[in-house]
Amino acid sequence: MKDLAVRLAALDPDAGAALRVIAYFDRLVEERAGLRAIVRGAAVLAGCPARLRDDERHVSVRVEPDGSSTTAGEAPDEAWMSAPIDAAATLTLERPGTPGEIEAMVLERAAAAARTVLDRTRGHASRTDPASAELVVDREAPESLRLRAAARLGFQPTDCVRAVALDNGTPRLLHAESAPDVAGRAGIGPAVTVKDLPDSWDAARIALRFTAEGDERDPGRRIVHADQLGGLVLLASAILPGAEPHPDLRALERAAAAAPWMLSTLDAVAEAASLRAAASALRVHHSTLQDRLAHSHPLLGWDPRDPQGRLRLQVALAMRRLHRNPPL
Amino acid sequence: MGVLVTTVLPPPPFDPELAAALDVIRQQLPSALTAEMIQPMREGSVMADLTDEQLARDGAFTVDRRLVPGPAGDPDIELLILTPAGAGTALPGLYHTHGGGMVVGNNRSGVDALQDWATEVPAVIVSVEYRLAPEHPHPAPVEDCYAGLVWTAAHAGELGIDPAQLVIAGASAGGGLAAAVALMARDRGGPTLAGQMLLCPMIDDRNDTPSAVQMAGLGVWDRTANDTGWTALLGDARGGPDVSPYAAPARATDLSGLPPAFIDVGSAETFRDEDVAYAGRIWQAGGRAELHVWPGGFHGFDGLAPQAAISQEARAARLRWLKRLLGA
Repeated sequence: MKDLAVRLAALDPDAGAALRVIAYFDRLVEERAGLRAIVRGAAVLAGCPARLRDDERHVSVRVEPDGSSTTAGEAPDEAWMSAPIDAAATLTLERPGTPGEIEAMVLERAAAAARTVLDRTRGHASRTDPASAELVVDREAPESLRLRAAARLGFQPTDCVRAVALDNGTPRLLHAESAPDVAGRAGIGPAVTVKDLPDSWDAARIALRFTAEGDERDPGRRIVHADQLGGLVLLASAILPGAEPHPDLRALERAAAAAPWMLSTLDAVAEAASLRAAASALRVHHSTLQDRLAHSHPLLGWDPRDPQGRLRLQVALAMRRLHRNPPL
Repeated sequence: MGVLVTTVLPPPPFDPELAAALDVIRQQLPSALTAEMIQPMREGSVMADLTDEQLARDGAFTVDRRLVPGPAGDPDIELLILTPAGAGTALPGLYHTHGGGMVVGNNRSGVDALQDWATEVPAVIVSVEYRLAPEHPHPAPVEDCYAGLVWTAAHAGELGIDPAQLVIAGASAGGGLAAAVALMARDRGGPTLAGQMLLCPMIDDRNDTPSAVQMAGLGVWDRTANDTGWTALLGDARGGPDVSPYAAPARATDLSGLPPAFIDVGSAETFRDEDVAYAGRIWQAGGRAELHVWPGGFHGFDGLAPQAAISQEARAARLRWLKRLLGA
């Protein structure tokens, strides 16, 4: 049988050949093949020696069209076809002149594949690298830059990822199935593929506004998932800096000032499935909770124990958090 | 063996470079081969013949053909004889049985791999043209191969071959035929072989090992293709109780007294388990065998994707064994 080298070297510049070149390098990237395999692919597909040189990382690879690796070879010729991989690295075909259709395709795809390897193996970027994460969620940045930044953080374009908004305003990325590992408050965006992370980031920042410190003065959840907010997100755009507090929020603040247990008690009632569960969460007797709610009723102006009152309470608590947490 | 597979586990992954090449190869060579596809494949370009000019390699080899007697009462057979230019006398002989699933190919198929060896270790190559199934079922193919070996050994001096250094070699179906001819030579008191090179050999008509089941529909020469090849050779007898070890060497109950064997195979191919078992049984019978299982290799990977790192390793291992065997 004719071998691959013969078949690929004789590629005609038709659409089928171009697709085969694309498929070859895509699969190498998918299989996480190394640099040598990529340069080998370029040499075999182009039918001439190929080189990769990276001055920053001190990488130098040269492969003959039969796939064998060789040392440096002759001095580089200015006229050879080449494509930049990044600022420091270049992929070269040892063939002079203007690249034809197939050569241009080989250069472009091999350089892109090499870029993913170099980014992946760079090693000093961590998943919490803020600069890279900021780039990934930046809607204004070109998609190619965003994908590269994601690769540096260990995320492939097809991975399912969530943007996380931390309380200091910085983004972090999280695999869809992973549990968030954050110390402070955090808003978690919906799981998306890498290119859609700016959307997830927008949602995460809104979710962050619904978080609370989780203490007596600011009771509530420290971590909020955008996925779970439902129609409440609409409140976020209504409550911006300078907005007048709604009368229900004034009533809630009035009640809060009356007793140190008031806010945490009301938050427990808003969150728990039943008053009995709320009492249990607060570690107070059921009758104590009843007494406290009887006390809160006139301060609020509505009864947090009936369903409608409970909804008003939930909305008032959400408005309180939105006032405390202005948009980033 | 008849290993019963109750749970089919996922197949081993292909080597990254081989996976990329396979995407390209499969556009021209499907995993499965059915009986209707035999004739188109014989006529197709995938099996394009090496020309005499290619075989001569710029004068490095002289190309000769001899018609020699076939099995008693059967037609003559053609031997393709390639002699290194300027070679002395009494060189090692490489007797070649070509591959092609018992149904396709001719005595030029795959002979270029042996020429690569003969370039490193000067040797005379004799490649036999045997009759193909299904037009010529068992025992026609293997008897032709055996008759050609007998003639070659008897005319070793005339061919410039040292009869003590005659090695039989074949890949795929050719590996199965090589193993079978080695068994026949032992049993019939025929020519003494210095070694048998069984490259991803096709040796078990039962087609039911875990690897055969696991790789169905995947890679190159899958379980369906294997069924097509064996059925062409054996008809209804395939997989039954009365198959001769000269058709399917895995059926041999006695593997003692055989020449040293070199066996290689990929971990991701139909033949993996039958080939590993054959090596194991040679050792159990007190024989000599060298076994290589190349991780992530599909059937014939070294020829179809020769540039891949693992293909280069596989070819180098064969040559190293041959050099050790022949003291070259």
